[in-house]
Amino acid sequence: MENEQTLTGEQSLELITSMINRAKNDYYDTGISALLWGSVIIFCSLATYANHYLQWAPLNYIWFLTTAAVVPQVIISIREAKSRGYKSYQSDLIGGVWLSYAIAIFLFSYLAYALNIVHDAPIYLTLFGIPTFATGYGRRFMPMIIGGLACWGLAILAVYIPYPNALFLMAGGALMAWFIPGLLLRRCYLKAKSQHV
Amino acid sequence: MFKDLNPILHSQLRLAVVSLLITVKEAEFTYLREKTNATAGNLSVQINKLKEAGYIDVTKSFKDNYPLTICKITPQGVHAFEEYVKDLQAYLNIKK
Repeated sequence: MENEQTLTGEQSLELITSMINRAKNDYYDTGISALLWGSVIIFCSLATYANHYLQWAPLNYIWFLTTAAVVPQVIISIREAKSRGYKSYQSDLIGGVWLSYAIAIFLFSYLAYALNIVHDAPIYLTLFGIPTFATGYGRRFMPMIIGGLACWGLAILAVYIPYPNALFLMAGGALMAWFIPGLLLRRCYLKAKSQHV
Repeated sequence: MFKDLNPILHSQLRLAVVSLLITVKEAEFTYLREKTNATAGNLSVQINKLKEAGYIDVTKSFKDNYPLTICKITPQGVHAFEEYVKDLQAYLNIKK
């Protein structure tokens, strides 16, 4: 790009529009975070369901895997931020939504334990839907919008499906909200990466 | 009678840089170079001009032993860009 090339009014407007669009379309997500959380929640839900019949003591602590998954998540977030090359206003906002969600979900896990709430799937699914829908809406990424709506639909269904079968709905929610969108994001990311090589 | 377009912004590369910075909170030099397809030397000169005009803030540091330059638009830069777009709209007779 030349620096002092004389621009007409139309060219200036075209340049502004093209640069704004380039920045807008530069949404960078490797899909790894979504795949990580989708896999962890699906695995924990199905393991808890299996353990209802197996009664294997170590599996009672399987949900601690979600706490352990915070470590790779922090590493992924730092790496993605480093390779992005820019900070957007939107990523700060969406980061805040996910942080609020993480705090709310850990707080609710404590409350469910303290208040002895056994049938907690509808509340978890409602919480799953909030950041997923917000991210999909903010990024205009339809699979996450659908994922968020699916979680809320499954939350209503979970009211009528008793424990432990409701765990299948939890796994379904994680599949729709994170695993499938994660796969799609990953595919887009790898495609874009191969075009830049 | 049309107002003259701001000469600092009415240059292809400087306008491209400011248009990119208006959409993000801050951006690295390499990101701006990639998006504008400019050479490092040329971009560096234009960034300095924008900095001297007070339109952008430039922070220099190191990341993994490599120099890291981060650019951020200032409130003065945002105002200048908005005025530039308004003048451009008047010039092109575009109604909002």
